[in-house]
Amino acid sequence: MSRVASKVACYLATALFAVAVTASSAYAQTAVLLPDTSQTTLMTATVSEQARITVPAAVSFAVTNVGNGTNASAANVAVDRIVLATATKQLKISIQAAGSSFTAPVLGAVTWAAGDISWNAPSWTRAAGAAGTLSASSFTQIATCDPDAPDCSTTGLVFTLGAKPSVQRAGNHTLVVTWKVESIGS
Amino acid sequence: MLSTLSVMRPLGWLVIAALSVTPASQAPRPMSFSATLTSIKVSARPGQVITRQFQLTLDRDQATSRFKARVEDWWRSEDGQQSFYAAPGTLRHSCARWASLNPVESTVEPGGTLVIRITVAVPRELGPGGYWCALTVDEVPDPMASAAGVGVRFAASVSTGIFLYVDPVERDASILDLKIDSDRIAVKVRNQGNAPLGIEGRLQFFVRGSSTPTATIDLPRTTVLTEPFVDGELGSLLPSAAALPSGRYVVRAILDIGADHDIGAEREVTLIRASSPNAPVR
Repeated sequence: MSRVASKVACYLATALFAVAVTASSAYAQTAVLLPDTSQTTLMTATVSEQARITVPAAVSFAVTNVGNGTNASAANVAVDRIVLATATKQLKISIQAAGSSFTAPVLGAVTWAAGDISWNAPSWTRAAGAAGTLSASSFTQIATCDPDAPDCSTTGLVFTLGAKPSVQRAGNHTLVVTWKVESIGS
Repeated sequence: MLSTLSVMRPLGWLVIAALSVTPASQAPRPMSFSATLTSIKVSARPGQVITRQFQLTLDRDQATSRFKARVEDWWRSEDGQQSFYAAPGTLRHSCARWASLNPVESTVEPGGTLVIRITVAVPRELGPGGYWCALTVDEVPDPMASAAGVGVRFAASVSTGIFLYVDPVERDASILDLKIDSDRIAVKVRNQGNAPLGIEGRLQFFVRGSSTPTATIDLPRTTVLTEPFVDGELGSLLPSAAALPSGRYVVRAILDIGADHDIGAEREVTLIRASSPNAPVR
C-alpha cells in the first residue's frame, strides 16, 4: 500500500515537474496559429465580366415622300446586369452597316446609301450618347455606358433616313446593320 | 336593313381591329441575350497554348437564333469614337491567326447557352511586345425574315479583346495635349512602348497657389495601341459649374499606364462656365 502511495507521489512529482518545465519553456516560445482546415471551406465565386444586351431587331421607315427625310419610330436600347473588372471600364455601343447601300426591290434601281442613315443624341440613362451617321467601314459609337454603371439605356433613339429624290422604285429597300457591344481593353 | 347593318358593324370593327393589329404583330421582338465580356490578357511565353471560354445565353423569350464566331484584328480611332474590325493579319501585331474557336457557328435555343472554346497557340518564334486581336460573336440574320417597305434589319454582335504580352514588355507613354472643348476635357496620349497600354487616371483643377484641388475628374480607362495609331484620348465631361466655377486653373493630369510609375502634366486654362450644361469653355 505504501509502495503504491509512493508511486502515485512519484507520478505526481513527475507530472508537476513536467508542467513546470513546460511552463518555463513556454516563456521562450512563439505562439503559432495553424489554420484549422478541417472546419472551414473556402468558397470562391469566379465572376466573369458580363452584361445583358437588348437591341431592336429592326426599324422601318414609312417613306411617303422621297424628297424629305423620314424618321423611324423611337428605338429602345438597353444594357443591364453590367459586371466589369474595374470601376473605370466602360461598355461601348456602336453600329455599322453590313453593306454600303440598301438592297433595292429591283436590281439596279436607285436606293439609299448606308450613309443616308443618321441618328439623334437622345437622353440616355447612365450613358453618354452622341448623334452620328452610319458607316459601312467602321463601327460608329452611339453611346458609352457610364463608368461603374450597373445598366444603361434609352427609349428615344431615332434613326432618320435622308431625302433621296432619285429613288424611283417602291417596294422593299432593306439594309442589315450590326449592333456592337464592345468591352475591349488591355 | 336594320339586321344587315347590325351584322356589318361588327364586321367593320373586326377589319379595323385587324388593320391595327397587323403592323404591331409584325414588329420583330428585340434581340436580348447575356454574354461574358472578359478580355483575355496573358503574359505569354513563345510556344504556350492558352484556352478560355466565351458564353452567350439567349433570353427565354427569344426565338431560336444562330450565332457565328471569329477572331479578327481590331483597333480604334484616336478619339475612340470609331472601332475597326479587319481580317486576321491586317495589323503586324495581330494574334488572330494564332487563335482557333470551337464551335465556330451554332444555333441557340431560347434560354440556351452557347459556349465557345478559344485556343491561342503562341508561336515559338516571337519577338517581345504586345499582340492583340478580338473575339467577335455575331448573330446570323435569319435569311427568311423579310422586312416590308423601307427598313433596317439589325443583327447583334459582341466583341471582347485578346491581349498577349511577351517579355520584355516596355510600358511607356507621354502626354501630348490637354484640351477643353465645350463641356468636355480630354488628354491626348502617345504610346511609346511596345505593347498596348491600358491607361486610366485623373485630372485635378487647382486655383493657382492652392495645394488642394477645386475639382477632380476620374478618367475612364482607355486602351492605346501600338498600331495603326499610337495616339489615344482619355476624356470626360467637366464637373458642373457649381463644382468647377469660371476661373483660371492649373489642370494637372496624372495617368496610370501600368508601369511602375505614373506620368503627369500640367497646363493653365481659363474656364468660362455658364449654368447650362453646355457651358462655353476656352
